[in-house]
Amino acid sequence: MIPISHYLILSAVMFTIGCAGVLTRRNAIIIFMCIELMLNSVNLTFVAFSAYLGDSAGQIIVFFVMAVAAAEAAVGLAIVLALFRNKKSVDINDVNILKW
Amino acid sequence: MIESYIPIFLILAVAVVFGVVSANMSWLLGPQRPNRAKNSTYESGMEPVRTAHDRFSVKYYMVAVLFILFDIEVVFMYPWAVQYRNLGLYGFVEMVVFIGILLVGFVYVIKKGALQWD
Amino acid sequence: MTFETILFYVLALAGIVSALLVITRRNPMHAALFLIVNFVALAGIYLTLHAQFVAITQVLVYAGAIMVLVLFVIMLLNLQNEQDLFEKRSWRSYSGPILSLLLLALLLRTVAFVSGGSFDRISPESERIGTVANIGQQLFTAFVFPFEMASLLLLAAMVGAVILAKKRFP
Repeated sequence: MIPISHYLILSAVMFTIGCAGVLTRRNAIIIFMCIELMLNSVNLTFVAFSAYLGDSAGQIIVFFVMAVAAAEAAVGLAIVLALFRNKKSVDINDVNILKW
Repeated sequence: MIESYIPIFLILAVAVVFGVVSANMSWLLGPQRPNRAKNSTYESGMEPVRTAHDRFSVKYYMVAVLFILFDIEVVFMYPWAVQYRNLGLYGFVEMVVFIGILLVGFVYVIKKGALQWD
Repeated sequence: MTFETILFYVLALAGIVSALLVITRRNPMHAALFLIVNFVALAGIYLTLHAQFVAITQVLVYAGAIMVLVLFVIMLLNLQNEQDLFEKRSWRSYSGPILSLLLLALLLRTVAFVSGGSFDRISPESERIGTVANIGQQLFTAFVFPFEMASLLLLAAMVGAVILAKKRFP
């Protein structure tokens, strides 16, 4: 049997990769995809605890996370579109009007 | 329990292997004597004038977004449909409220003309 | 080594490799395709945890719907490769990985606390709780309020997407 720590380590590694992507990439769409990656690694933690503790709450929360991810995709990509319409680029370094 | 999924994994493996093999087999087996005319996009047709990557109209975006949001709605309807008889009227009212709220959004989208193609 | 164990380690490796490829490919289209590989690998990992319905939904919603929208937006904008990312070395390209490694150390330290007891093997209950029937029973009794709030969230997303994406209304 696989102990739960292996699932948690996989989840931690994937979360870190997503975080590194958000911190280093400048393309807004790739940053968006890295956030999806982080959401997914957290989902893995929820499902792993749900299966090892025998509690269904974890799996149901995953469905709500998926609903949030879908809403985020709809609005987030609309923001990227609006950004591209105004700046002709999706490089986040070009979005610096509010930068101090 | 996971063993009951072995047929699915086998089909996945067959699909991947078949795709990779058949895509590369002609490259492995066929003779390769390329020349300029052969490598052009249409060997005996017109010269292509610009890149094949073209931008889509933003009109498609609204359709894709509505697809995602109603896709999520249907995902929530699967477990409801399975448990419909156990939940009774209570479950029915829950789902009517859920669909009612989303229908408000659908009416809004139609009224705003976001799906109009013109 | 049971079939389940082998499957988990193969899929875990596929997940990590595809995640690394997502953040290193310059072409956003390639990154999106590797993200789909990652999602499918995660769906397989959910199966090793007996979460059947979550696995199917993962493929349906993430790989099927959300990534379609992302690929669609990439084609809509017709983005070119991110050329200067790896050429221009700024403080960003060093501090990002260093901060991420610190985060990983922190997370792994936390994982070390979780062991023993029921955490060594999957609960025998898990075969029952992953089914569509059980998810439906729980979702429509104990989680009614979050379920109805999800519809409000989707409504807000619908209105927001219309407002942001539509340039001018007729």
